Amino acid sequence: MRVLIAAATGLAVAFAVVLTLTALGSPSGGTSPKPLLTTVPAHP
Amino acid sequence: MRRKAGLVLLALAVFFAALSPLLRWYAFPRLAKVPAHQYQDMVLEAENATLLDYGTMRARTVPKVTIVQTLKGNVEASERIEESAGRDVVVWDGLSYVVGPDGEMVSKIPERYIFDAHTQEPVHATGETVDGDPVRRGGIEFKWPFLTDKRDYEYFDAQARITAPIHYKGTRDFRGLEVYYFEQTIPWTKVRIPKTLPVAGLTPESVTETGTTRWYTTVRKFWVEPLTGAPVYGEELHREELRGGTLLGDRDKVTAFAGHVKMREDYITHTVDLVKSQRLLILLMTSYGPWGSLALGVLLLALALYLEARGRRPSGPAPTEAEEPSPVSA
Repeated sequence: MRVLIAAATGLAVAFAVVLTLTALGSPSGGTSPKPLLTTVPAHP
Repeated sequence: MRRKAGLVLLALAVFFAALSPLLRWYAFPRLAKVPAHQYQDMVLEAENATLLDYGTMRARTVPKVTIVQTLKGNVEASERIEESAGRDVVVWDGLSYVVGPDGEMVSKIPERYIFDAHTQEPVHATGETVDGDPVRRGGIEFKWPFLTDKRDYEYFDAQARITAPIHYKGTRDFRGLEVYYFEQTIPWTKVRIPKTLPVAGLTPESVTETGTTRWYTTVRKFWVEPLTGAPVYGEELHREELRGGTLLGDRDKVTAFAGHVKMREDYITHTVDLVKSQRLLILLMTSYGPWGSLALGVLLLALALYLEARGRRPSGPAPTEAEEPSPVSA
């Protein structure tokens, strides 16, 4: 019984970690204030 | 105590073993996406190109024509489209600005490209345009999907405004990166006159009235890093002609532009470095993470089983003296 509980705990934590990670996602920033270029930039 | 440690190890083993497929098949498709706010620029050059002099309406060879391409993620527009589309959307406002050898503008073509942030499939919404005209893309543009396949893709050509196959032509090594090489040929196609022309007073309407038409062909080549789907290098054998009409006098056609367009060296180095760092993130989620997690899970499970086996070994008092061997009689 204790073995089953330990395995279930590991599984539940794995799901919780992955679901939390995907729910958080990646931070979305704002639109860049930089203009669309009409001159040749000197470097990237 | 040993039994407790075995149970903790078992829980950890299940945790890491379960994490492996979850990372690869659940988290990766949801987390890998093109950020909506990305801003990027690219400089391409065509040396010894042929360019039309609109003053004389004659083609001439010039030392260099430069194409500055900017892509800017429009976050507000993407959020607006996401509400109705129900998925993560990226809106790129782009500008292809062509500069002649004298630094003057040759042409500028703005466009808006709307696509799914995860799959790079085009999303159709109001505002999807090229040079101010509504278009409907049937394929990718600028970037391939994450985990690019060794197959042909549908690629949108903004000049001809058509979607045509771009063919997978093999795997190559590009500056230490394994890349997939793609090639697309757009045959001579009649295309629209750009809305902005390099001569004041010359408009697409006034050109059309003369009966002159614009034709275009290109061979487009991309070297794509397959994990990120990002092109690390690109070339184009680009030709444009003006044909017919009174604008050309007694000539049938004149070359408007012809050149072998290549990415500028500093941008190649920058792109390769950027793609190498992004590639590592993708590998962490698709390979290093899942395989490492699975290996750790198996290791911890073995350790847990070992502890369990040791814990079950009979632990009675050790014999105090060895048994006397029975006498052997012949």
